[in-house]
Amino acid sequence: MADNRLRYGAHNLTDPQLKDLRAAYAGQQAISDNRGYQYLAGLHGVPGFWCWHHQGNARTAKHRQLFLPWHRAYLYHFEMGLRDRVGTTSLPWWDWTLRPPRQTGLPDAFAVAKVGGQSNPLASFKINLPNTNPPVIGQTKRQPGAPGDLPTQADVDGALSRGDWIDFGMALEQLHDNVHGWVGGFMGQVPVAAFDPVFWAHHCMIDRIWWLWQVKNGNANIPADLLDVPLAPFNMKVRDVLNVNDLGYDYAAGGAKIAAGGVS
Amino acid sequence: MARAAPSRRRYDPPRRGGVGKIYTSSRVDISFAGPEHRTYRVDLMIDGIDHGGPSYRGFVFLNNPGATEKTPRDLENGYAGVFDIFAHGGCMGDPGHCEVNETKREVYDFRNPNPLTPARKRVTVTETIRELAKRQKTATVTIVPVITAMNSLCETHDVFKCEELSFVAYN
Repeated sequence: MADNRLRYGAHNLTDPQLKDLRAAYAGQQAISDNRGYQYLAGLHGVPGFWCWHHQGNARTAKHRQLFLPWHRAYLYHFEMGLRDRVGTTSLPWWDWTLRPPRQTGLPDAFAVAKVGGQSNPLASFKINLPNTNPPVIGQTKRQPGAPGDLPTQADVDGALSRGDWIDFGMALEQLHDNVHGWVGGFMGQVPVAAFDPVFWAHHCMIDRIWWLWQVKNGNANIPADLLDVPLAPFNMKVRDVLNVNDLGYDYAAGGAKIAAGGVS
Repeated sequence: MARAAPSRRRYDPPRRGGVGKIYTSSRVDISFAGPEHRTYRVDLMIDGIDHGGPSYRGFVFLNNPGATEKTPRDLENGYAGVFDIFAHGGCMGDPGHCEVNETKREVYDFRNPNPLTPARKRVTVTETIRELAKRQKTATVTIVPVITAMNSLCETHDVFKCEELSFVAYN
């Protein structure tokens, strides 16, 4: 049976799930070709600059609204790359609305520098772009703000309460921008943000909130003339990414496998 | 032909960077938010925001031109909300890479807009502007930009730059 894979909260990952995720990230980070971490992270900003955020103009005003669909396509390609390394893994989402004691700022899985004496592939990535201007070479770093400055559940509920697609998109992008600045360091600047491993968990949370909104509001008020806009460099259009189940995944808070044989 | 070596020294890791120049508008009419109107929501629309420099949080105060990053963010001090700009942090390319020429496009130019095409932000300021409008007809808008990520490629003084600000009221 071809079930959808589930994306779980990073705060709820089991030890086996976390081990798989780390192995997948490490495997991808070790690849230097177009299947590898540096290539995929480099599509967002330097050197590819394919990402969609604020940009729009009078002639292509609706392109401003590609922020959510473009990043959904982007996450999909990154996640499939992870699953090429470890077939049982999926992207986790970072619920930045959680407060102590459940979570203090960054999820522990992404915050600890070392795991078993080895560098944690979820904490940092070594960029090697000697031919960009300026050259970008070195480990990604963060400079997090105070945990209380992250968006709250009330902020998320406020965005979700906006039934209009444009209004909702602007409200959600505001929360997105807040978290990028909160993490600071490489995550705080568009050209290099995607090299930080927590970028993907942050965007998974954004994608999840969009999906929650879609479940409630449907897709009817997404402008029809946006649906066939391509999401370059991916071979997808906006309409291709509207249903996460059609992309083979869904969201859950957490979960664990239960051995079918039982113990008695 | 071999590619010329990049002209600039290595990218330095982004870091937090203090406060940019504080913006204060001239006084604007806010009588549309007075109690005699059935306004349920008022947004401050900020259009044409430059996002090529440092990333920052823009704290919005109404009728408090002396506001700084240390001003308490409460109704009493005119605090109305915040917007965040996830920005580019200076140009990471060769000369001309970050020049935005969207208004000069050819009709058959179907390429993507320049990523630095200016941004739009919306800050809902309903409660603060309603309170002010109970006792006065005009107010100023002050924006305090607190830098969250900058590096040596960024200009860090004139951080908040936009083309237009406006209030939009709904009833």
